[in-house]
Amino acid sequence: MPHRLNPFILATASKCIGCRACELACAAAHVEGGVSVGSLQAPLSPRLYLTCVGEMRVPVGCRHCEDAPCAAVCPNAAIYRTDRGVQVDKSRCVGCKTCIVTCPVGAMEMGQIWENGKPVMRRVANENSSEGSEMEPALLASKCDLCKDRAGGPACVEACPEQALALIYPDAIKRRRNIQAALALKGTGARAGEVL
Amino acid sequence: MSVSSSIVSIDPLLCTGCRRCAEVCPVDAIVGTLHQPQTIDTERCVMCGQCVLRCSAFASPFDETISDIPAIRKERGLAEDDTSTLFAAHFRVDKGSVSSMLADTEKVSMVQCAPAVRSSIAEEFGLAPGTLTPGQLAAALRRLGFDLVYDTIFAADVTIMEEASELLERLESGTNLPMFTSCCPGWVRYMETAWGDQLSHLSSCKSPQQMAGALFKSYGAEIAGKQPEQIASVAVMPCTAKKFEAGRPEMQAAGVPDVDAVLTVTELADMLKRKGIQLPSLPEEEFDTPLGLYSGAGTIFGASGGVMEAALRTAIAVTTGKEVDESGVTFTKTEEGISRATIEVAGKTVRAVIVSGLAHAAKLLEDVRAGNADFDFMEVMCCTGGCVAGGGQPKLLPHINLQDAIQRRRESLHVHDKALPVRASHRNPSVTALYDNYLEKPLGHRSHTLLHTTYGKAAGGHE
Repeated sequence: MPHRLNPFILATASKCIGCRACELACAAAHVEGGVSVGSLQAPLSPRLYLTCVGEMRVPVGCRHCEDAPCAAVCPNAAIYRTDRGVQVDKSRCVGCKTCIVTCPVGAMEMGQIWENGKPVMRRVANENSSEGSEMEPALLASKCDLCKDRAGGPACVEACPEQALALIYPDAIKRRRNIQAALALKGTGARAGEVL
Repeated sequence: MSVSSSIVSIDPLLCTGCRRCAEVCPVDAIVGTLHQPQTIDTERCVMCGQCVLRCSAFASPFDETISDIPAIRKERGLAEDDTSTLFAAHFRVDKGSVSSMLADTEKVSMVQCAPAVRSSIAEEFGLAPGTLTPGQLAAALRRLGFDLVYDTIFAADVTIMEEASELLERLESGTNLPMFTSCCPGWVRYMETAWGDQLSHLSSCKSPQQMAGALFKSYGAEIAGKQPEQIASVAVMPCTAKKFEAGRPEMQAAGVPDVDAVLTVTELADMLKRKGIQLPSLPEEEFDTPLGLYSGAGTIFGASGGVMEAALRTAIAVTTGKEVDESGVTFTKTEEGISRATIEVAGKTVRAVIVSGLAHAAKLLEDVRAGNADFDFMEVMCCTGGCVAGGGQPKLLPHINLQDAIQRRRESLHVHDKALPVRASHRNPSVTALYDNYLEKPLGHRSHTLLHTTYGKAAGGHE
């Protein structure tokens, strides 16, 4: 059944121990490689962020907002809504960072993009260089894509040793809550002759 | 004590205090409270590196609380352009010292690699767990610049010659029984730190790594026409405790360290990649003779139960004159991590125990201390499953099934054993030649000088 509302990854802070396995699995899921850390062919660039405040640990990531502010402010239409969440088209991103300052949860980052074992480069003016410019790794918008191309679903959910992460469908949850509430109401009602 | 000098340590700048490492530490050496950076109790730590494999607290480029990554790299002795991912729990990196040795044209470089390396290193190049690549491993080490590519398995075969003789001698005299294997440095360290009154039970044999190193700088030096100090001796191991073992002051048979540096599987893979050597695409080559020729028996040292099986193959032949490819002895699991069998050797009944995982050894040691041991010979591997599960093995990603990977690496060592032309240590022609030309006989004078040692807590102090 198609979902009316975007799914997203929900983290339960009370379960999180702060091990970063989610970040590691996320970063690994978005680069070429095999089963080991050493086999990964690009530096790790996670798309959810373990956040430590006092004793609390919880990863924060994209909520795939229905009225996504990042998409609304992108001057290059690089961010768009799909039936599989809010996605980034890196080929249109220019790294203007408006999405970063607009996102209410800090889900967006500017990460290196690696293709064929090498970072995608950008030209930067440098008057001391003989060419007048030099190349350096480009930083482009990067955020949770719900592992849309991964067979096993979101890598972070699979990796969490504490089951603190879940891919949730808010409309399905809302419907389930409605049913639970209805069942709870089954025995209630006004007594005969009583006006509530 | 600086962070970089320790064999295994936890970086307080990266540790988030999740304590998942404490779950896998076999000696409860991880100290700290939840959410606070953890420390390692160096009095208890056996340097097995299981915490390193388990740790997932890496230096994220987006975590502003991890401010100075270049400084962390420098403190760990990593090259400035090293881009490997930094984790809180880590081991001492020796890539730099090995690179220096390879660049030193005055020295002849000899390398050995442990059995379990050939069943796992391909994982670092994107292949499936347990992919067997002995020939490519030899080729890769040669391309990295080692003059002589030898093999720890040769020394494992020598270990069997020495240890089987020692066991038969102890059974004959009835002293220092039960006898314990001594090839696993995590296990030996545990004996030294926690069971110092029971050390006489350990075999006096050095581990295969140290036997190989001692032979490189004596027999190997003679063959190469060099002096011991002209040889750079490097070991590639699936183990972090092997780094500690190599540094033990008593492991200097020729007056210089038997082994000058130890690389883990992950360190070697990284060095190969940085030189553009893609191991899986290399042709299969042979290890160099004589110290690189090996049997199937030595090969299975890398999987728990393998030392026992290798010893039995030779013990059966020596005591009955009957040559067997496999002992035919089946061990039965009696408790978690413990398997047992009873075997007839030289008219004596030998009760043998295999312990897989250091945490399972304590109750057997209590019996030994109380004089109630119901066994004569015990093999112990610190890491559950054996060296295939060692702390220097590829660090698997969080969603990969670790037990499945370990099982595949074990199976590939057994497949390799079955495919080798010689499957018992005493039938390895290079081992026979070593005894004929140099050592004379197991437990002989030269063996004692080169291949045996005395263990004790003071002998190898933890840095």
